[in-house]
Amino acid sequence: MPKKIVAMVLVGGRGTRLEQITEKTAKPAVTFGGKYKLIDFVLSNLSNSFINVVGVVTQYEPHELMNYIQHGSSWDLDVSEGGIHFLTPYTNSEGEQWQRGTAHAIKQHLYFIEQYKPEYVLILSGDHVYKMDYTEMISTHQKTGADLTIAVFKPCDDKSRYGIMSLDKTNKVVEFEEKPDNPKSDYASMGIYVFNKESLKRLLVSLEADKTFDFGKDIIPKALNENYHIQGFVFNGYFRDVGTIDSLYQANMDLLDHPEYLKLHDYKTLPLYTRSKDLPPHHIAGKYPVVQSMISDGCLIMGTVTHSILSEGVVVKDHAIIQDSIIFAHVVVGEYAVIKNAIVLENTVILPKTRLVFDKVTVVNNETIWQLGGKTL
Amino acid sequence: MKNNVLVIIDASGKDSFERLVLHRMPGALPFAGKYRLIDFALSNVKNAGITNVAIFPYGNYRSLQDHVGSGKRWDLDRRRDGLFILPPKNLAMPTETMLTFQRMHEHIEYLKRSSQEIVFVMPASIVWSIDILEHVQTHLESNADISEIMHDNIRFKSYIIPKSMLLSYAENYDALPYQTIQDITMKAPGITVNTIHYQGYARYITDPFNYLKSNLAMLRFDIGKTIFSQDRPIYSKEKPAPPARYLDYASVTNSMVSSGSFINGVITNSIIGRDVIIEKNAHVSNSMIMSNAVIEENTHVDYAILDKGTIVKKGTFIEGSLREPFVSKKDQIITNQTDLSILMVSTESTPFVKTGGLADVVNDLSRNLVKKGVKTSVILPLFEEIKTKYSDVYKKVASKRLVFNQEAVKVRLHFMIYKNVNYYFIEHYKYFERETIYGHDDDCLRFAFFNEAVLLFLDDIESFDIIHIHDWHAGLIPLLLKERDIKIPTMLTIHNIDYQGVCHQGLNEVLQLKRFIKEDHINFLEQAILHATLIQTVSPTYRDELRYEYFGKNLTYALLKRERDFHGVLNGVSSRHDPATDQLILSNYSVDNVLPKLENKLFLQETMHLDMGVHKWIVGMVTRITEQKGFELITQVLEGCLEHNQDMQFVLLGTGDSHYIERLKQIEQKFPNRVKLNIGFHATVPNYIYAGADVLLMPSRVEPCGLSQMIAMKYGTLPIVKQTGGLNDTVVNYDPVTKKGTGFSFYNYDTHTLKQTIFEAYTTFKNHPKDYQKLIKRGMRTDFSLSKQASKMIELYQMIAHPEK
Repeated sequence: MPKKIVAMVLVGGRGTRLEQITEKTAKPAVTFGGKYKLIDFVLSNLSNSFINVVGVVTQYEPHELMNYIQHGSSWDLDVSEGGIHFLTPYTNSEGEQWQRGTAHAIKQHLYFIEQYKPEYVLILSGDHVYKMDYTEMISTHQKTGADLTIAVFKPCDDKSRYGIMSLDKTNKVVEFEEKPDNPKSDYASMGIYVFNKESLKRLLVSLEADKTFDFGKDIIPKALNENYHIQGFVFNGYFRDVGTIDSLYQANMDLLDHPEYLKLHDYKTLPLYTRSKDLPPHHIAGKYPVVQSMISDGCLIMGTVTHSILSEGVVVKDHAIIQDSIIFAHVVVGEYAVIKNAIVLENTVILPKTRLVFDKVTVVNNETIWQLGGKTL
Repeated sequence: MKNNVLVIIDASGKDSFERLVLHRMPGALPFAGKYRLIDFALSNVKNAGITNVAIFPYGNYRSLQDHVGSGKRWDLDRRRDGLFILPPKNLAMPTETMLTFQRMHEHIEYLKRSSQEIVFVMPASIVWSIDILEHVQTHLESNADISEIMHDNIRFKSYIIPKSMLLSYAENYDALPYQTIQDITMKAPGITVNTIHYQGYARYITDPFNYLKSNLAMLRFDIGKTIFSQDRPIYSKEKPAPPARYLDYASVTNSMVSSGSFINGVITNSIIGRDVIIEKNAHVSNSMIMSNAVIEENTHVDYAILDKGTIVKKGTFIEGSLREPFVSKKDQIITNQTDLSILMVSTESTPFVKTGGLADVVNDLSRNLVKKGVKTSVILPLFEEIKTKYSDVYKKVASKRLVFNQEAVKVRLHFMIYKNVNYYFIEHYKYFERETIYGHDDDCLRFAFFNEAVLLFLDDIESFDIIHIHDWHAGLIPLLLKERDIKIPTMLTIHNIDYQGVCHQGLNEVLQLKRFIKEDHINFLEQAILHATLIQTVSPTYRDELRYEYFGKNLTYALLKRERDFHGVLNGVSSRHDPATDQLILSNYSVDNVLPKLENKLFLQETMHLDMGVHKWIVGMVTRITEQKGFELITQVLEGCLEHNQDMQFVLLGTGDSHYIERLKQIEQKFPNRVKLNIGFHATVPNYIYAGADVLLMPSRVEPCGLSQMIAMKYGTLPIVKQTGGLNDTVVNYDPVTKKGTGFSFYNYDTHTLKQTIFEAYTTFKNHPKDYQKLIKRGMRTDFSLSKQASKMIELYQMIAHPEK
């Protein structure tokens, strides 16, 4: 059955700068805000934009993600015509189809796009933090008659991390620099693209066989060169590419310090969905303060928690103190343990009286805890 | 084995949740913050791997349907079998206490089509984590026909029964003397029943006390762990709520908090639902707060159940108890009750004017409201008998002109205080000063005038927040207020649906209400139902019964329209009725010393010229002798009972229809020393019957509230009643297994059942004297006080009193 729009979500990247956090997890499956995973943002955005044909292009550690998303029912994406499809590398008569960059990944799965005969293809990343209704961007794309529309935002941190876009008065993209040292514009690409399907196909088919191909590095400069109409779509909301430990930590802390940024409590306009873990509400059982924090279901808290985010099923025992930290699911924090400025990964067991107090945000897991000062008081 | 078991979830009961179930059924009640009660039943099913489930809901099952959906969360969206919601087909049937064979017969195809051979039946409102298959195994090993699951001496209405057996009962429901599986286990001959005593935590939730208690039990590690164990999770509908947020001033001790909540106040021992906001300096303890509630600054909430969306305004103090938690209504706005004041509009109030029970209710309620700090005024027409007796006492406070029925008339308002209640009287010679107060051809015009006159004097009466109108005579007030755009909330009490004030002859011309009423007749009570802010009647069961045409008659539709604003509050009994202080009985007694009751029994036998002896069993009646009170059955059954049971004696005080009286007199002649009739209601006080009889018979076909059964219970006389109206709310049927109950009651209105129930009561008296004594004491301890009624009424007033004036 033909669909107007097909969305392709790229979840292939490993996100090496997140160190141990992505050692066993694809970046989109990284925990965020206690009960969410990064992929929840893009899936919820799609659901809120009523786009329900979604190809999830995976490569690195796909199983956890596949297991998590399942049929997409948590995001209302389990529809009979379309729905969520996992697109993994495969082998055919031309040999093994290992992905060589983002654009190449899409090229491999063109057959998937074609079966719905869409007019437009929306290309997204599975690891960004933002709430957005894509409808407006798509209608801008339609109105301007562009071949490609790229969502852009004004980053507030180091611009040299991004692909910088120079726009003209009509928001048409006139110049593009990938990760420049001296950016010429305030606008950076969000890695969100709306393509006319035919234009996308033309650009992809012309790719050379044995090179790597990214949208940022290769496709966009090529399209600019060949005078394709590229439109910029300015997004004014909160957007974070949490590619580093610091940015991941900061974006989490933004939930505590600036709840107005992501408005997680606003379920009416753009609710953020996630898959339920079937745990009871958390239980504050101790007599110590729990303040300025977000606590998820299934936690049992007997100690002190200040300015921290706790995922599901965390146990904080008597006299333990957690401060300015992010604790992932099912971590057990023993009696008299002190944790400050840490990201503690899933299932870490912190023995009683362990002191994990850091000046700089530090990732802790069962392997690294010994080197990081897992000594007792 | 799991493929051979199907589960029936019995959600047909309504239990006694009152306002908590106005817009949902008990199975859909929230539990432990993020769950609904039915999640436990469904999760037990899922954890057992069973895939065929039928839910039998009662009336309002939308919220259940919404929650359960296709059953996907519990793996019940199947191609084969799956989840079935089987609603009642016959909506004219009043609510039952449990699933009947008749209900099953309505969906007999379901049972026939299902391939499973064993049926596990359980109610929707039990909190437990039960291994269904393990219990089915126990049942099979017992070789019994039926297994019943009990816990802690409470019937869990849970059964394991072969499907073939259930099918044959359901197919032949109309020919059986049993309505439910429970009846079969108790009465059917030749059926072997195996009782399984469930181990582990379980609670069957039937009332606000149980509801709050078991919610708070989840805060105990030993209990919470067994219910929410990791091997057997409880599944619920997914909701998009972020983790709960704790702000700077949060202070939480031993509480469960669900997603989406903002906590900045002080919480102790409480369960907080989703998206609740608890502001700085709000103190919440021992309470259950449902989703989307807001508790503002500087508040105190203790032992409360706050329904969804309740707002507790700044500075409000709410205090309930574990036994009687404060219960709010969905979306209620709660403020302090300090300056609540009420204006009652009625045509009767003791001691001024009385033709029936209404007069006592108005006076008793007003006095008890005043005792609880609610300023109360009552406004009455100045009938002739009031004028004769009180003209020296009351003072004129206002005099105004009113154009009514194309006539300019002068109306006066008088005032006096009686027992701290403000009484106002509206004086108008033409309409009110007659020999009798009702029964005139122009009653409609007279009371329409009364309603107009009340509005005329609104500013002359001491200020009030709510107008509380009684019965049809004040029924136009809500409409008149609307028509004149006066924003005062109103509450209607329906004492008797039979008197509606239906008026023809162009009353609409007089009142000029064409904007609201198109027909040329006006039904006062109907208008009151349609326009009052809140509607109340005299018992919770009667409130439910009125939804059915059999009871609600022509007003069923209007009442259904207002269903969510319609409440039942049981009338109270005056503390005058007390065997410990009653001067009219031979020997005083109390719950701690019931023995002197026997002296009263012998005295009753002596004065009534009955055979004397404490082993005799006296059935008393204090009643009007009419069809409604059950005399169609009594006259058919009585003779047979007396013949069959030589110990039975019968004493009646009352008056009524002559054809029943004649029949009763024949019986009296046939059993001269065993039956005594006292015809004439005013002949003598009934107290000697209440004190002397063993049981009070009250098999009314319809009984909105009923007072005799409550008085009898206070006098240690066990009631035998039909489960209708207030009788159903006051009498708990004796269960020989659990020894629970306060009397004897039956559901089906037929001679066989009545005879059977009388016989059961007698056998309990004869063979289980200890149980019988327990029932007496339990009945005497039951609280039917006016004070309790007034408290419930205040809760209703608070629902509609405007928070910001």
